[in-house]
Parts: sequence; structure tokens; C-alpha cells
Amino acid sequence: MISCRKSKDMMIEALYGELPPAEKETFYAHLQSCPDCASEYSVLGATLRVMDERRLPDPGPEFWANYWDRLAAKMGKEDAAESGRVPILARLRRSFAALPRWSYQAAAGAVLVVLGILIGRSVFAPSGEKSPRPGASAPSALAAVSNDPAVRAQRYIERSQVLLLGLVNYDPKTQDLYGLDLAGKKAVSRELAGQAADIRSSLKDPRQKRLRDLVSELELILMQIANLDAGNDLDGVELVKQGVEQKGIFLKIDLTRMASAAGGDEAPPARPKPGGSSRPKNPNQDKV
Amino acid sequence: MDETQLIDGLARGDREAFREFVELYKKKVYFLALDMVGNAVDADDVSQEVFLKVHRSFGTFKKDAKLSSWVYRVAYNACIDHIRKREITPAPAGDEVLESRANGEVSPAWSTAPADPGRAVETAQLQARIARALDRVSPQEKAVFLLRHYDELRLKEIADTLHLSIGSVKSYLFRAIRKLQKELGSPGAAGMEVSRD
Repeated sequence: MISCRKSKDMMIEALYGELPPAEKETFYAHLQSCPDCASEYSVLGATLRVMDERRLPDPGPEFWANYWDRLAAKMGKEDAAESGRVPILARLRRSFAALPRWSYQAAAGAVLVVLGILIGRSVFAPSGEKSPRPGASAPSALAAVSNDPAVRAQRYIERSQVLLLGLVNYDPKTQDLYGLDLAGKKAVSRELAGQAADIRSSLKDPRQKRLRDLVSELELILMQIANLDAGNDLDGVELVKQGVEQKGIFLKIDLTRMASAAGGDEAPPARPKPGGSSRPKNPNQDKV
Repeated sequence: MDETQLIDGLARGDREAFREFVELYKKKVYFLALDMVGNAVDADDVSQEVFLKVHRSFGTFKKDAKLSSWVYRVAYNACIDHIRKREITPAPAGDEVLESRANGEVSPAWSTAPADPGRAVETAQLQARIARALDRVSPQEKAVFLLRHYDELRLKEIADTLHLSIGSVKSYLFRAIRKLQKELGSPGAAGMEVSRD
């Protein structure tokens, strides 16, 4: 025999036919011998039968027929707002979130190398170049760096690389499309592609040809990404990936960066020019 | 398209799969929302918001989970969010059904009521009483009751859906039915078959 407490515990399952067969017998045996529990069970059962009479007002066939269209319209608006409103930082955060761990390690390695080069240059540079020009304030120095066409080009390339890595490393078999954030990538691509012409025209030095060509190649790929369908253009993504691979974009980026780090022709200046018309060659190139 | 194919399609962002998913769940989600939030306009908004959320965040769906449980969970959360927001400017849920009937706005479901005017009135009174009784039940108790009684989810599924223990589900359900019984058992209840204890 079971207690009334146990019987009440079994009542819900019994009402909905979820009582295991072994317990069913015990439960109904208890009801036979306990009028209180039997009454409660009967009352609850009757309540459920009344609730079976519940009828909800159906909004009608037209409502259901248009349901998808209304939803699709909202989705379209949301996609448009998303691509227009997501702040750059959030987009970058998403892009970075999609990157594999090794890419962070590679990026950290590259930053360390560049830092090493910069420190090496400032320590071993000729005395005339060791300290900033007298009278040159830090903000103006920074402004000069940020206005340097080669620096702008390198930043452009870095941002493009981050974006392309997110796309190239996307595997539809193991990752969902939402993780790819195609809408965010399209928006960033559009923004970067818009800057390309300006950056390219500012790279006037004949020695910056490689940099200029790379910016042009990236522009084409970025435009291709910007024109992908926002929803699920997996074929388009695959084409972009193939294009990046065939053109050896990452290799070209690495070569440009290495040339830049080694202070080659296309390297941006480590600091503002000391006043001369041409940037002096790094005297410590061999030491780095 | 079976559930696995549907999930794969949704994970790929396949629009056709998403459409099929919406067609499959739109009525379930809408009627759950209607019972939870109490009026058709809000239920429509909430149900569409549920699908937008699914569209935005299908990446958070774990593939070993049951799709229906996840959808009901998203729907339940959306309803609770809506109810909380509405609490700032409360509007009695059950009354809207009564009002719409009083104004002669008879929906197709109501129109299936018997042609006999006397019986139609009786049916309408019973519906109003049921709606009011449901309104007396807390949102969580109501959700558990609706999922078990109308959506026919098993207790274990409800526990998974609402992230509760089975004991809690049984307890909420028991309390919900007791409250309904109290409300429906009031003297003068039309079509009442139960008695108060």
C-alpha cells in the first residue's frame, strides 16, 4: 500500500497516462481504499475534461496564409538594419570570434616581430633619428603616421586579412552560418572597398607598386563579398574562398608585411620623417 | 524533410528549411502565445518575434536537443518577456476575449459553436470562464499546464523545455489544475461538471 502523500505525487502522471504500468496498479489500489484520494482524483480529472472544451479564436485562413510573408518582411528589415547599424567594434568582435585559435597566435607573433623591429630601430638608429624632432609634439607625430599612405594601406590590408580569415576558415560542415555573420562581413567589406580607391591613389611612389596591386586585388574580393546574398550564399562564400586561394592573397599579404617590417621599399616609416624629402633607409636592417 | 534534415537546413541558414520550420510551428507557437499573453494582436507579435529569435540565434541550438523543446523554450521566454513588459501598463488578458465577443467579433473558432442560440451562449460563457480561470494561474504554472494539456508534451519534455526538475513540473501542474478547479467550480459555472471540495 502507498500513502496518500505518495498517491498525490502519482496523481498528475496518472491523470495524463504517464504512470508506469507497475505503479498504476498500486495507485488504483490505493484509490479503491481511500475515498479522499479517489474524490480528489475524480475532481481533477473532471477539471481537465472541462479544460478540453477550451476553444481558442482562430485568426482565420488569411492570417495563416500571410504569416510567412509578414515574417519574411520583418526578417528583411532586420537584415537591412543589422548591416547598417552594427558598430565596427561589434563587427570586428564577431569576425575575431570566428577565427581559430592559431590565427590569434600568428597575429600575436607578428605583433611581437613588428614591436621588436620598432624597438630595434629606435635603439640602434643614428643619433639624429633617435628622438623626435625638437618641437614635434606626440599628437602631430601620430597624425603624421596615420596620414602616411603606406601606413593606411597596411591598416587596410590588416583589416581585410582579418575579414578574409573569418571567411576562409568557415567550414559549413562544422559551423553554422550564423557564426559566420555574413551580414556583418558584407558591411565591413563594403566599407573597406569604399576606401580602396583613395588608398590606391595615395600610393604614388613607384616602389609601392606591390602594395598598390595588393590593395586592388583586395578591393575586388571585398566587392565580391559585399555583393553576396545576405541569407545563405554558401556558393558565393565558396567562390570567394577559391579566389583568395588561387590568387595567393595571404602569401602576398605576408610578403608585403615582411617587406614592410624589413624596411624595404614599401615599408611605412617607423616614425615621422625627420624633415628630409625621402625616408632614410633603415641603417640597422641587417641587424634585425 | 525529417527533423534531422530540418535542423541541418536551419544550421546552414537555408531559407526553405526555415520556411518549412515556420509552417510546422507557427500554429503551436501562436496559440501558446495567445493563451499566455491573452490577446490576438500581442500573440501575433510575440509569435513572430519567436521566429525572428530562432532565425537570429539558431547557432545556440544544441544538435542533440529536441527541436520542439527548444522552440517552446524560446516561445515561453518571449511570452514571459512580453508579460513582464506589459506589467508596466497592465491590461487584463481574459477580458479581451469577452470584449471581442461582446462587440460581435466572432472568430472562425467561435463560429463553430452550435447554431442553437441558447447553446451558443452557454458555450461562450464556458469559454469566458475557462479564459478567466487560466488568467488566475501564474505564468509558470500556466505554461506547464498548456504545454502538457494542449501541446501534449510529456512531463520530461516540459522539464527539459523549461529547465525544471520533473518534480517541479508535477508540482506546477498540480497547483495549476487545483487553481483551475477552484475557479471553474464557482457557483453558476456554465457546463460545470466538477464540484468544489
